[in-house]
Amino acid sequence: MFCLSELEDTVRVHPSNLGSPLEDAIKTELKELFLDKVLSIGLCVSIYDIKSVQGGFVLPGDGAPTYKVRFRIVVFRPFVGEVIAAKFKESDSNGLRLTLGFFEDVYVPAPLIPTPNRCEPDPYNRNQMRWVWKYGDDEFIIDDSCQIKFRVENISYPPVPIERAEDAKPFAPMVVTGTIDDDGLGPVSWWEACAPISDNDED
Amino acid sequence: MKNIIVKANAGALTNFEVLDLLNSRGASKDTTRANDKVSGSEYKVYDYLMETAASTQTRETVTKFFDKCKDFKLAKAEILNVINLRPTSDVELTPIIEKPDEREIDIDGILALVQELLPPLPSLEAPKENEQEETEDGEQEETDDAEKEETEDAEQS
Repeated sequence: MFCLSELEDTVRVHPSNLGSPLEDAIKTELKELFLDKVLSIGLCVSIYDIKSVQGGFVLPGDGAPTYKVRFRIVVFRPFVGEVIAAKFKESDSNGLRLTLGFFEDVYVPAPLIPTPNRCEPDPYNRNQMRWVWKYGDDEFIIDDSCQIKFRVENISYPPVPIERAEDAKPFAPMVVTGTIDDDGLGPVSWWEACAPISDNDED
Repeated sequence: MKNIIVKANAGALTNFEVLDLLNSRGASKDTTRANDKVSGSEYKVYDYLMETAASTQTRETVTKFFDKCKDFKLAKAEILNVINLRPTSDVELTPIIEKPDEREIDIDGILALVQELLPPLPSLEAPKENEQEETEDGEQEETDDAEKEETEDAEQS
């Protein structure tokens, strides 16, 4: 889910921060610049460490020194084929939306929900649709009762839109598309009936 | 815009390693969250990770598991998945491992190894154990500090 990435950037440290040790001042600037932002490599979660700092020159007309910093960050970038446990957020006629707490744009489109299934208006929540999987004689509901495991199919970084409709969803710079159409995927409660490996008899 | 990325992938991290990093900065479960070294968005990642298998793992168990996994001919990405998810049954392992029969992968062996080496998943509710944290430092964690305080406890072997 996470990996390290090495970056190099020029960082301008405001003079008011120069009272603290240089490394801390640079880390504060880096945090403001990168934390919780989506780069082309993924969502930046944390600054890992600083590898080297060079420069410190003050450009003419400026009061602050500028450093060339090489550092590493922890990036959230799941790989295709990774299985991740997430929570249910909402669903509509296009599919499901799951959330990881720190990342909320995981979508499971309708074709990737196990078939045969049907979509019905949610009796508990008038604005939402509810997905139900029909397997044999049993029906399994997809809701927020437990964690939902999904497998990553694709990650896309849609370009920033220039114009949008007033009521469109907030722009998501990184979208993870997942599937729950396989053994062991989907709500965890669906598979709890399968006995874990042990010496006891299966129920 | 200049390209600032030197190396897009300088190494994959298990959930445990990220949790360890946040812990070393001082993230904790207390709700005041007054720590200025860990920001709000990092705390969201921390909350997520504390509910996964990573919260009960230690560096030794993860390294040991990784070493032993080499005998099972798994791809690195699959080992990462197994460490992060800690599967307990065949059906949980199926979406992780591709074509196990063609590659002759010993599914039961992997599950047995998981059971043996990786600590069990955290229980989502532990109200009574939290009350004891005032006197002893969290019986769930195995740190050296806790061992120093428990000098009078009989060796239960």
